[in-house]
Order: sequence, then C-alpha cells, then structure tokens
Amino acid sequence: MATSLDQENRPLAHDSDPTQTIVETRNLGKVYRDFWGRKKVQALKSLDLEVRRGEIFGLLGPNGSGKSTTIKLMLGLLFPTQGRVFVFGKEATDVSKNERIGYLPEESYLYKFLNAEETLDFYGRLFDIPADVRRQRIESLIKMVKLEHARRRQLKEYSKGMTRRIGLAQALINEPEFLVLDEPTTGLDPLGTRDMKDLILRLRDEGKTILMCSHQLADVQDVCDRVAILHQGELKELGRVDSLLKIQDLTEIHASGLTDEAKNQIREIIEKSGGKLDRMDNPTTTMEDLFLEIVKESEQRPGRRGGRGGN
Amino acid sequence: MRLNPDHFWTYSEWLFERNALRDGAVLSVTLALLGFVVGYIVSVFKYGPSEGFLRVSQIIGQLFTVDLPKLSFRRIFAMAKLAVKESIRKKILVLIGIFIVAMMFAGWYLDPDADSPARLYLVFVLTATNYLVILLGLFISCFSIPADIKSRTIYTITTKPVRPLEIFLGRVFGFTAIGTLVLATMGLLSYVFVVRGLDHNHELVSMDPTDKSGESSYNNRHRHTFTLNSEGRGTTNEVKGHRHIVTKVGDKVVIGSPIDDLTARIPIYAKGLEFTGRDGEKNEGYNVGYMSEYQKYIEGDSLSRAVWRFEGVQPTLFRDVILYDLTISAFRTYKGDIVTPVGGLIHFRSTDGKVKSEDEPFKVKEFQVDRRSVRTKLKGFKQDATGKDIATDLDFFQDIAPNGSFEVVVRCQDRGQYLGMAAADIYLRPADLQFWWNFVKGYISIWLQMFIVICFGVMFSTFLSGPVAIIATVAALVLGFFGFFVDNLVTTTSKGGGPIESLIRLPTQMGSQIEMELGNETLQNAIATADRGILLAVSQLKNAVPNFSQLDTSNFVAYGYNLFGGLLARHLTIAFGYFVLTALVSYFFLKTREMAA
Repeated sequence: MATSLDQENRPLAHDSDPTQTIVETRNLGKVYRDFWGRKKVQALKSLDLEVRRGEIFGLLGPNGSGKSTTIKLMLGLLFPTQGRVFVFGKEATDVSKNERIGYLPEESYLYKFLNAEETLDFYGRLFDIPADVRRQRIESLIKMVKLEHARRRQLKEYSKGMTRRIGLAQALINEPEFLVLDEPTTGLDPLGTRDMKDLILRLRDEGKTILMCSHQLADVQDVCDRVAILHQGELKELGRVDSLLKIQDLTEIHASGLTDEAKNQIREIIEKSGGKLDRMDNPTTTMEDLFLEIVKESEQRPGRRGGRGGN
Repeated sequence: MRLNPDHFWTYSEWLFERNALRDGAVLSVTLALLGFVVGYIVSVFKYGPSEGFLRVSQIIGQLFTVDLPKLSFRRIFAMAKLAVKESIRKKILVLIGIFIVAMMFAGWYLDPDADSPARLYLVFVLTATNYLVILLGLFISCFSIPADIKSRTIYTITTKPVRPLEIFLGRVFGFTAIGTLVLATMGLLSYVFVVRGLDHNHELVSMDPTDKSGESSYNNRHRHTFTLNSEGRGTTNEVKGHRHIVTKVGDKVVIGSPIDDLTARIPIYAKGLEFTGRDGEKNEGYNVGYMSEYQKYIEGDSLSRAVWRFEGVQPTLFRDVILYDLTISAFRTYKGDIVTPVGGLIHFRSTDGKVKSEDEPFKVKEFQVDRRSVRTKLKGFKQDATGKDIATDLDFFQDIAPNGSFEVVVRCQDRGQYLGMAAADIYLRPADLQFWWNFVKGYISIWLQMFIVICFGVMFSTFLSGPVAIIATVAALVLGFFGFFVDNLVTTTSKGGGPIESLIRLPTQMGSQIEMELGNETLQNAIATADRGILLAVSQLKNAVPNFSQLDTSNFVAYGYNLFGGLLARHLTIAFGYFVLTALVSYFFLKTREMAA
C-alpha cells in the first residue's frame, strides 16, 4: 500500500514532460496552530493537483475552503505542514521561482503612498529589470489597465477598481509565465469585470498559465479551462469546466424563426420518441450581457433611454 | 572630561593586542552555535529530528550558496528608496522642525554665566541631536516591517524574487539615509547655532599708554584685560574659555573675534607616568583618600615627583615654541591662604637625566586647562663629567630630546599640600585641528549610534510586532549600558556564588558569607562548574549588545579634543560588527517566517 510519504516523494509529473506542469501539489496539507503549538484548524487536507502550461485553472470554494491557503502555499507565503508543493519544478519556498510568477493578491496590497508609476517602478526593480525596459513596460501597462489619467496620483486616492487594475499591472511587470490571481474581479464594475475576463483570456492566448480563485462562479465558468472545487480543506471535484457542467441526459436546442406550428411539431416528436419536454420558452439574456449592451448603446447615442423593459 | 587609557589605543593595538578581534570571533562562534541549536530544537518540534536537521542545514547552506551570491543592488536600492519615501510621507522630517524650535528656546535655558559657554552650547546641541536621532532611528526601524506584515503589503514583496537579506539591507540603508539627512541638517543648524551664539565683540574701554595694557568693554557678562607687545599686538586674558586677538592699527586698538573657544586640540600624550615618594624612592603616587584612582598625588616640598615620559615627538611639528596643556588638581591638607593657588615647579629633562631645563613655577588652575608653552631655545643645565650641573643655553630637540624622547618633571612647592595628576593630564599641542572637522567627527559618532539602533530595530521587527520591537531594542541598549555589571560578576569572586547557587541560597536562607553545604560534594562541584559556564556565556553575550556609553564621543568635541582617528575607526568597526550580526539574525528569521501566518 502506498503511504503518503511515498506519494510526496514520487517523481514529479513534469519529470516526464517538464514543460507541461507548472504547479504540482502532493498530499499537501496545512494545519494552523496557536502560539503554544496547539492545533487550531486544518485548513487543507491532502491536496493533489496539477496546473498545466497554457491553461486557466480555477480554484473554487466557499469561504474557509482552503483556496487562499493553497495559493499562499504555492507562493511560499505559508509552509506546508504536510506534503509538498512544486512550482516550475522547484520547492515553493525557493525564491528564484518568483522570477517567472506574477501575483495579484486578493486586495491589491500595495503601498498607498506611491503613485502608479512609482509602484510599477518599485516592483520592476524587485525583478531586477533594467531601467529602459522598466520604463517601456510601465508605459504599456499603465495604458493597458487604462490608468493614464491617474498615473501620478497616490494609490490612497484610487477607487477600488483602479487599485485592482494597478494591482494587475504590477503582477504583469515581469511578463510572467504563470499568473496567480486571487479574486481578480472583486471590486470591479461589470465593465471592468468584462475587461478583466477578456484580459485573462488574452493572456492565456499569449501562452501564459493562469491560476485564479474566485467567488464569482460566472466568472470562473466564463474563463476557466479546468477547475478544482474545495470544501472544508478537501478537494471535492477536479476537471474540465465544459465536461463538469455538461448534463448528460439533457438536450438543449437553440433555434430562431420557428412558428407555433413548428414548435408543436417538435413537442410531438419529443413525446413520440419517449422523451419529456421540460421547458420550451423564449430565453432571457444574462444581466451582464444586458448591462454591457446598454452601456455600449449609451456610448454610441448619448442621452437616449433604451426602453427594452416596457416601464 | 577624563581621557581613559583605552582612548589612546591605536586601531591595531585595540584589534590585536587588546583582543577585540578574538572577542569578536568568540562571540560570532558562540552566537552561531546558539542559533543553530535553537533553530534545530524548533525544527525538531516541527519536522522531527532528521528532517529538522536537514532544514536547518539547508537554510545555512542557502545563505552562502544562493542568498548571498544572488544579492541584487537594484533590489536593495528599490527597498531603500521605498523606506525613504515611506519615512518622508510619514512626515519624519517634522523632526527637523522640532529641533529648530528646541534651538530657538535653548537660549533661555543655557546659563549665560557658565565658565565655558562653548562647552555648554556644544553639549546641548550634541546631546539634543543624539537623543532625537536615536529616537528617530528607533521608531522608523521598529514599525516598518510589522506594518508591512499587518497591511499584507509584504505579500507583494516576498512573492517577488527578493532575498531575505535584501529586505533587511533595504530597510537599514533606507532608514539610515533618511536619518543621515536629518542628522546632517541638524548638524548644520547646530554648527551655525554654536558659532553665532558664541560670537561677540568687545570695545576698548581704557588703555594705559605707559605699559600698553588695557581693558575691554563688558559684553556677554564678561570683560577682558590685555597687554600689547612692542609691535602693537597681543591677546586678551582667557575668560569663559576664550581670548581675543588685540591689534593696534594706527591710533586705534581693535579687539577681534573670540579665539580658542571652539578648538580641536590634537594632543600628544605621554607614554607613561611614574612617581617618586617623599623619600625620593619610586612609588605609585599617593592616594589622598578619593574612591577614584584616576589621579595619584605627589607631596609638596619633598622629593616627591611626577615624571611623564614622552617618546617619538617629531621636531617638525613645532617651530619656536612647544605648546602644552596642564590639568593638574590640588589637594589641600590645610586651608591656608585659600585665595592663593597651590604652586608647583615644572622642568623638562632628557631621558638619561643629564640635560634639563630650568624649573618654571606655576600655580594650579583647578578645573581649567592651563595653556602653557616652552621655547625650543631655552636655558637649562648640562651635567659635566663629574656629574655637576652646568648652566647653559639649550636647544630642546638637540639637547633634551635628541631622538624625540624626553621627560617632564613636576614637583609641588607648598609643604603639606598635594598635587594630583594622571597620565593624560599633560599633553603637547603641536597644532589644532579645524574645529568644524572635529564637529563633523562628533556627528559621525552620533551617526554610528543611530545606525546601530536602526540595525537592531529592523532585526527585532523581523520577528516581533512594532511596539515589542521597540521595547526589545531599548532593552538591548540598556543591557549594553550595564555591561560593566556583568563583567564585575564574572571577573570578581562575588560572594554567594553564581545564578544556580544563588537560587539555592535564597529559598534556604543561607547567608552569602558562609560556604554552601549541600552534603554532596559532587553536586556542589557540578553547580559551581555550571555557574562558571553560565557566567562565562553571559559575559560573552553581553558583547552582543552595544555599549552606547562607550560609543558616545560628544565630550571630545565639547571639551575641545580631537576625536582620535583610531577611536573613530574602532567605533566604525564595532558598528560594522553589529550590522553583520543583526543582518544574519534577520536573515534567519525572515527565511523561516511564514509571512501569511
């Protein structure tokens, strides 16, 4: 019988293909203890998972499920009490791995007395980036996160959304291969959320690997390729989003331009073939799509009210 | 101010002969071993014996293989710059404003009747600066890292390729830079305050045309008298620690700005001081009953003498006159004429005693520096072949000190009175250093103290919260201040034994004067050995905290002595030692600390 120690010491997944696994946890566990060493809470229990190159991996779970603990263990902010975690094949406590990582913490913990330029310059220096490259990246990142108008304002004057955007810019200053995003859409308005999701997808398309954890299930569903669902420190589900969400014995048909007669014929066919029609109706759009459409129209034709919903 | 023998040690003498290097090495090894043992014990609890050993070894190994070689100056500079910005945005520079306000009101409290206003002004500015800057260092260094941990900004630092040492170095360099800025500004303001505060002028009040003597006006609560020479030049008498140059220009007598109040004497001290008793035999000097054994005494009107031996004095340092300062005290066994000071005689002689100058009488100026001089062409005596003294003209450096070595002999004239002196109570003054440079050196001393405080503050803040780090830093400084007490415990055979023996004696109410009787000799021997070990370890460990009373050199500046380069170099070395020590301790705490815990 394989013991947990055997599991921890087995060859790395990336040993067979070192380019394909970015993060690997083995039997990873974390117990928080009090000052006297007494066990307070077991935040994570025997977690085994891999994050593969080029994917967007989502960590899902309610509060206290162990998402943040997992991320902190991966980043070396916490040390495991059980098992091991490898990032780029190196122990998570190895500082050199950080050269290839970008991290957006949950609340953009940045120095409030710095302005946007100073913030990016500071973090750029921490990556030992030469001055000319740093200047170039600061310019393009400030443009990318749309903070040109506020580049010289201290962060303490920033709104939550702006803070989030400068936080994202600092996470990208080193052009990382692996991006860790903790609640990336928190505090963003729907437009900002959409921008953030588009950006995440674009970064994935550029070849970056992204690990994100979020409470916003819709966001996770929109962008993640694979997800892991944690609850009470345990891994409950792991797999591709599309296959996890697929309901095998339910069929969905989207059609337009059908007459009532055609709809009745469809109902008859379903009954004849022994199936059961659960629902046939006009679908509603999502609130996000509606909001985005209204904003878009408003930008094109300012001063006019939409009038979709009657009153 | 008293100059102690250790002030005169040269840098190499201190490092090698006085065992500073050896003590430093012993301390380093002791702390390294202690750190390893403590680290291992903690690791054993966390990971078990073998894994624990591996982890501790890994951390030590990584220091030399990865963390030191991969230090990045760009990262350190970034962290330092951040620390500077943080301090400035937290309005640390307000401290300079407080200092200016303190100086504005200082004039109200500085005693205008003081004997030496220069000393008073200098002690005030140096002490005020010292305390303010140390407090500044204490507060900025102790709160920064804990604040980063509390606000979690540390997450964005430690998730970058930042090495633990870079966090420490960045903080220390940044805070030192801001401290230097504050200190330099305070230094400049202090200099202007002192120089302007002491500057004053006198007018001529009366002049006697016959003997060309005169009297100045009464300004700044004093007046001077003077006598001009045939060329119409002269200096006033010394009042309140200064004189004025007086020159006659045409019919007008001009009294210049004060001189000698802000000086930096470069003393050449004697290599040794010997005494002879009232019978002419060598002794250790008389003790007149003071607890302090700093000065020893010679008896008046007897064969009792004090003989200082100078060596290697270069003739090129002096032209026609050899200036020397005398600070001798008197002890009266009877009151006598209290207004007339006790008198003495002084002469210079060759080391073989065959050539000597004439005796020159002097009156003791108690609590003051008696500024004296002897001409290089002087009258004296040479012994002939029969041993008889023949009066003759002498050249100081040809006859008395042909190889730069000579002796100074002092006698007390008054029967029943005593003159007290120590090795440092006479020194030659070849030339004075520029006062401003000595002033700068005094501030370098303060800077070193601030630097050490910052190192300790940052070190404690790597594993303690801000307020606790402040208490720990202050405790370390206080411990260092009482280091002499630990030395006494270890070096003297104190009654009642060491800590373990004392612990047994206290509850059993066993007096400290009687031998401890436990009825078991082996146990008693074991306790005595353990006590010796503990005391030895404590005496080594007390070197781990800085002794600020030793590092304080403000008196050199205030009392107008050149701050010896060797002394400053020693202090620099000590500061560097503490810097390395605190850097290593911080490294281990930052390396093993869970930042998100």
